Amino acid sequence: MASISSRRLAKELRDLQTNGTPTGIELIAADNWQSWVMGIEVLGDTLYAGEKFALLFRFESQYPISSPIVTFIPNYRPPVGNPSSFSPQAVYGVPMHPHVYSNGHICASILGSDWSPVLTVATVCITLQSMLASCKKKERPVDNDRYVLTAPDNPKKASHPDAFPTLTLTFFPDSIPL
Amino acid sequence: MLDEIHDSDARPLISQVQPMEILMQEYSSNPNFIRKMEWLKKKGWHGVRRTKGDGDCFYRSFAFAWVERILRAVDRDLAVAAAISTLHTTWLGLADVGFDVEILEDFYDVLRTLVEQVITPEPGGQTLNASLLLEAFTKPEASNAIVSYVRMLTSAELRKNQKEYAAFVVHPETQESMPIPEFCNQFVDGMGREADHVQMQALAKAMGVNLSVAYLDGRLGQDDAVDFVKFENGGGNDVNGIEEVVLLYRPGHYDILEHRAHEHRSSAASALVTPSVME
Repeated sequence: MASISSRRLAKELRDLQTNGTPTGIELIAADNWQSWVMGIEVLGDTLYAGEKFALLFRFESQYPISSPIVTFIPNYRPPVGNPSSFSPQAVYGVPMHPHVYSNGHICASILGSDWSPVLTVATVCITLQSMLASCKKKERPVDNDRYVLTAPDNPKKASHPDAFPTLTLTFFPDSIPL
Repeated sequence: MLDEIHDSDARPLISQVQPMEILMQEYSSNPNFIRKMEWLKKKGWHGVRRTKGDGDCFYRSFAFAWVERILRAVDRDLAVAAAISTLHTTWLGLADVGFDVEILEDFYDVLRTLVEQVITPEPGGQTLNASLLLEAFTKPEASNAIVSYVRMLTSAELRKNQKEYAAFVVHPETQESMPIPEFCNQFVDGMGREADHVQMQALAKAMGVNLSVAYLDGRLGQDDAVDFVKFENGGGNDVNGIEEVVLLYRPGHYDILEHRAHEHRSSAASALVTPSVME
């Protein structure tokens, strides 16, 4: 029997392929149950108008009980023939944002303590999209240089100084009127 | 979070029934606890089934005890039919609060299949017995899927009936009241978040289960008695033939309280206790 993890990812992929991705979100590569690449673009009048970014999702065997490992990909060159609007001729970078390190690591609670299995690849993308959309000033986290020097490959294993709190970022399902 | 579970002790996610004396040994330096455990034994509670202290102990204990009550029901057909009906209704109800039922279906399937197996053998296999039940709950993938699923049922119950629960929903550290969706995001939905009174009340209600929790602490009242907090949801001692779920609370932890001091010999001999290390 297929694992819960692969069954779940198969279901998410089927949903994205049949019903389409949310606005501004694209599927760049999803060839296996270990890692996918998603494209995001912040639409409307924001600091990131006209920019596009690639997100790497890595899934551990406990997904969706445990959160996916999600990072922006620095200097990303999309594969030739990928199904998205991301051009193989272009190079995509990491958004300049106070909670995104230059190595692509994202400091957001939804990817750690606020993760829950009702969240999906699509809802994570939407949440990160709105994180970018609400950004007031393009800048790196204050401890960027120090962090990037010592950061492990997996941001979940990174330790953050208390002085730099994780951005509380949650995805709310449709709220119920009282 | 799961890495922490992985790194912590090799205690199984859930254990066989153990005599109360084992717990008493751990509290040998605390006479008030010992006296209360003696009181529990006098009242016929001779054992505990222990769960791992990973923040999921309430949910795991509750789910295990619930399935076990179905397995031990006098009228199993009735108990299974009622349980399946509850599971199906609550699964569909997840959509009412905006949860994607398709996405949660795999978790739902794990728990439903286990309940169905009480009377219907799994393909090429057998019907559920005590050792298969224990085995299912000690395997991390299935066990955590069930924990996660009952967390979602708890969350949906709270989100759906906000008026009913609003007065009791407080931040576990500051004790200040907080909006229910935020509370669920931070303290219910994710793994490893301990349950408090309001989560217990919500889950018992959602599942239509009578839940009783024995509070074991160091405070001595009259006659060394242990307080049982009851969450009643219809029926007398049982609902549709499913008996009350009884848990034992010690500060920071929940286990299952048992009349038995040992697993039945027949099942104990064949029971397979797999180590709870994550794969």
